[in-house]
Amino acid sequence: MKKVAYYTGCLATLSAKELDTSTRALAPKLGLELETLESVTCCGAGDIHEAEPDYYLHLNARILAYAEETGADTLMTVCNVCTLNLRQANFMLQKDDVLRARVSQNLEAAGAPPYSGSVEVKHFLWLVAEGEGYELLKQTAHKGLKGLRIAPFYGCQILRPSKLLGFEDPDRPWSLERIIEACDGEVVDYPAKIKCCGFPIIQARENTALGELAQPIEQALERGADAMVTPCPLCHLSLDAWQSKLNAARKKKKQEPLPPIPILHLSQLIGVAAGLEDSELKFKRHVVSVEPVLEKLAT
Amino acid sequence: MVEATHDVLVVGAGCAGMRAAIEAHDAGADVAVISKLHPTRSHSGAAEGGINAALGNAADDDPETHAFDTVKGSDYLGDQDSIEVFTREAPEDIIQLEHWGAFFSRREDGKLAQRPFGAAGSPRTIYAADITGHVLIQVLYEQLVKRDIRVYEEWFAWRLVENDGRCQGVICWDLMNGGVKLVAGKTVVLATGGAGRLYRATTNAYACTGDGMAMALRLGLPLKDMEFMQFHPTTLFPSGILLTEGCRGEGAYLINSEGERFMQRYAPNAMELASRDVVSRSEQTEIDQGRGVNGSVLLDMRHLGAEKIIERLPGSRELSLVFAGVDPIHDPVPVRPGAHYHMGGVATDTDGLTELTGLYAAGEVACVSVHGANRLGGNSLMETITFGRRAGRAAAEWAQSHTTIDVPASAVADAEREVRTLLDREEGERPWQIRDELGSTMLENFGVFRREHQMAKQIEIIDGLRERYGNVVVEDKGNVFNNDLTQAIELGYLLDLAACMLQAGIARKESRGAHSRPDDYPDRDDENFLKHSITRWNGDGPELSYEEVRMTRWTPQERKY
Amino acid sequence: MQVALKIWRYDGETGDRALREYEFDAPEEATLLDCLDIVKDRIDGTLSYRKSCRMMICGSCGMRMDGAAVLACKVRMYDMATAGHVPVISAMGNLPVVKDLVVDMGPFWRKFRAVKPWLEPGYIEPPDEREHRISQERMNVVHKEALCINCGCCVSECNSMESDPEFLGPQALAKGMRFVGDPRDAQKVERLEAYSSEHGIWECTRCYFCNERCPKGVDPRDAIAKLGAEAMAEGIDRDMGAKHAKWFVTSAKTTGWLRETELVPKTQGIVSSITQMKFAMGLARRGKVPLPFPPHVAEDVKEARALHDIVRGQGRQGALGHVQGERALARIEHTEHGSVRRDVPEVTPGEAPVQRDLGDRAESSEEAKP
Repeated sequence: MKKVAYYTGCLATLSAKELDTSTRALAPKLGLELETLESVTCCGAGDIHEAEPDYYLHLNARILAYAEETGADTLMTVCNVCTLNLRQANFMLQKDDVLRARVSQNLEAAGAPPYSGSVEVKHFLWLVAEGEGYELLKQTAHKGLKGLRIAPFYGCQILRPSKLLGFEDPDRPWSLERIIEACDGEVVDYPAKIKCCGFPIIQARENTALGELAQPIEQALERGADAMVTPCPLCHLSLDAWQSKLNAARKKKKQEPLPPIPILHLSQLIGVAAGLEDSELKFKRHVVSVEPVLEKLAT
Repeated sequence: MVEATHDVLVVGAGCAGMRAAIEAHDAGADVAVISKLHPTRSHSGAAEGGINAALGNAADDDPETHAFDTVKGSDYLGDQDSIEVFTREAPEDIIQLEHWGAFFSRREDGKLAQRPFGAAGSPRTIYAADITGHVLIQVLYEQLVKRDIRVYEEWFAWRLVENDGRCQGVICWDLMNGGVKLVAGKTVVLATGGAGRLYRATTNAYACTGDGMAMALRLGLPLKDMEFMQFHPTTLFPSGILLTEGCRGEGAYLINSEGERFMQRYAPNAMELASRDVVSRSEQTEIDQGRGVNGSVLLDMRHLGAEKIIERLPGSRELSLVFAGVDPIHDPVPVRPGAHYHMGGVATDTDGLTELTGLYAAGEVACVSVHGANRLGGNSLMETITFGRRAGRAAAEWAQSHTTIDVPASAVADAEREVRTLLDREEGERPWQIRDELGSTMLENFGVFRREHQMAKQIEIIDGLRERYGNVVVEDKGNVFNNDLTQAIELGYLLDLAACMLQAGIARKESRGAHSRPDDYPDRDDENFLKHSITRWNGDGPELSYEEVRMTRWTPQERKY
Repeated sequence: MQVALKIWRYDGETGDRALREYEFDAPEEATLLDCLDIVKDRIDGTLSYRKSCRMMICGSCGMRMDGAAVLACKVRMYDMATAGHVPVISAMGNLPVVKDLVVDMGPFWRKFRAVKPWLEPGYIEPPDEREHRISQERMNVVHKEALCINCGCCVSECNSMESDPEFLGPQALAKGMRFVGDPRDAQKVERLEAYSSEHGIWECTRCYFCNERCPKGVDPRDAIAKLGAEAMAEGIDRDMGAKHAKWFVTSAKTTGWLRETELVPKTQGIVSSITQMKFAMGLARRGKVPLPFPPHVAEDVKEARALHDIVRGQGRQGALGHVQGERALARIEHTEHGSVRRDVPEVTPGEAPVQRDLGDRAESSEEAKP
């Protein structure tokens, strides 16, 4: 078993609880011993990074420092935004001695442990897309998806900026596809899988965001996808919860509404293929019903 | 039919053009800029190392020392009265740029930093890391936009219109929409840059095809010192992409295949920071005598350390990585001489006025002459600003004190006929063959070292190419963005200029500055050749005469570094 | 080496579009631009594209390769050619195509001018007719923004602009930051007000495509983030985007975790939240609107509170707090597993040229399909 420090991020503890429950249920099957970090905060998302960049740096340094305290060498995230934020902070602090000294000092003055830069931040996606995690994935996904057509949606901040994330080619990513296939699903490929879902501006600039959100959903439906999968709970929120708004906008433009398409968290996709319980998958929390997918799998 | 009429028309939107336009505007004139590229695409932006002025921030300095360094650098061919004006006014011009917001590198005390550059008696090159040209183009464009100055963008200037003993406008090809267009102007300022594209190995952009020089030449105006083309010592192989002199200014070494800092033997005092012509010749000698590495020598920056390279020379590092596949932090970079700057050009006075009333020129297209037979690094960017300003003001003042403008309608019709001939031709030779042959033969026969038999051969080659050019075919017959047409026209310019350069070169029986004849005339001959070459076009070929050098203070001395 | 290219041709006069393939021999060190020159010279002289310096400084040759904007002079063809990959070359996105690979840069330059991209002097007086005295460190706040060569690669890929063509965009905003951060500029507050407008800072969707595509390392997204920081530091924070961001800070300081439920009213105001009621109820039914009470508080949140005060006192407000990563000399090299599907152009994002006039959004989303 590989011990990892587990940072849930905000959504997995609140509105996207299903992400946390399915991840926890899967972890032991995939060789991961999760040590959940409690003395942490929100990573700040793009918002604190923009509004108070120095505070953003410190909040993330603190999360990393607590991760270091667990003795694990890896901090596991389950959200694109958390991944970018933590990796960016880690990268800057590891490379800049003067910055690291000031931040560490501040952390200690606030009562937190010091930062030393000994953990690496990895998204759950990366841990199961290759290596040991991938081998265990193939075994765990014994029930399989029976050729279900899944459209992967990466979103932005698990791929870009690639100099900070660097796991895969940002224009030709392969990790979600590999996992879908390992779970016996059929990959539905489409251009907008690496584009933005619009979540960061879905409140402040809704129309612009909906213009972005429409693309992956329309393209996935056009290519006959049964469902979509995403490694980010923020993308999940816009893809799932905002589908109704998308149709409202289409109605205004006198366009036909789109048929619903269920959106799965990555851990749920694997979870279904691994035969997790309903109580662990918590599909009832989704706005767009996942029933059609479950029915297809039951036959 | 005239598109529009302006007081001042500036042709070319590089540093000189934009500075001239800004000055003309501030002097109260209605000015417009004609440029075949969007202004920020102009090749001034590729300049790297810096711009010279005797600010005296880094060490004691004064305009007189700067002037002497320039005179000596020019191998005593520079016109000293213009040089004195230049070095005297330069410092104020720099301060003006800084006040406009130019992003220059700074010293510890917050003043503008100045780095050492080739053949300079004192470190006087103001810089912005190693992207000085980029910073200047940006600040000038910002000031152009602030004044809302009209730009005829992507209009290819083709012919100057002369009427009544005055230059009264420019005929252009509208690249975006197609069509011959005439813009009238009471004065015209040429700021079209140089002609490095004559050579296969050049630092210059594709756009540097000597347009203004050729337009002036065909109108009958004198071009001055055409044989002097500067070869920059540190260009990448094989592209010719520039690595700034600033690398050597920050301490880089030049090494041959034996690991020797060979400049020791050629310029023991200045070493790598000797004058450019001296360094280029030294490199070429090393290569010719078998101590090169694959036709190049090595520029070694490793001892400068990663921090310094990343802080002061990040652009050079990026260029080395992308175009030479080498990281200067870890490995030396192969470099060799490449055609870089044309000292010659349209003859002007210190206010940029040419022989023709109403026609001015500034920047690389002009020959004042500030640089004589060889230019100091950093002086060209300064020239564009100082003389751009002077020409812009002179043009504005003249335009505002003269009211009439009269452009003959026949001018457009003639141009349209010529375009039709070119476009209608269905069979012939594609321009690239002529262009490539011109580029390689010029490099071989009229490069760093010149020899009688090679120059004679090259004259014949150029004649042959010009004849073939008469049959060149343009494949794109369309109107929208037809740069097949404009590139064919540019080739014609290059061929005319090549003929001028060769004639002046073979006639100059001495070695001076960038014109080096190691076999037959290895020494400078002040008695017979302390004079400028003057080239005029006489219908179907160049005609050569000479003009005195204007000397004020300094008499020619032996030139050693 | 043998090279093959597929180029989207577009005839400006007839409106015809076609994907043409070209095969030819090129030197090993050839760039994409060199290859285009070979095509134009020796195969098809009607191919149009912009070029000038060929050394990544003039910004002329921006175009899309396999759907991603690049500088043609920067792309070395060797690896692609030896792997047998045939890239698809098309004009940059988000700008109207004039002919082949030439776009109309008009909208680009209009937005550039809209941010008043010149120094407004008067903030500090330069001493005795000489230069302003400014430290290199202070100027370096905008050193990345000053690198911009106006090539358009960022604009080509901007996801916000694709959805809303009125968005000022990464290039214009980065240029704006170049002046906001310049100590000699006297109009910082006015600029920040202007850039905080409907199509300014807060319309950026943070997709990071601009950072990824920029060939000069300008990192426009980071410039926009700096503008946001500066705006908030100056109290210019009436925009919903700013309010949204402020609530994140408040949450971190008070409960650690984001106070999600209150985010909507805090961002959009009470009235607007009420109009969203039906939507919110839909979410609430699924348990996606957790009750704000009792608050979900992270452990040891007092440390987060204390950190905020400590950080506040260290004077790195606004853009100064933004670390630029200059000391990070190395990039992380990305790993690549399995075969890269380089032979299937249909799945290449954004392959087809996007043709649009400003404001013609419905049509353009049609066109964006390959």
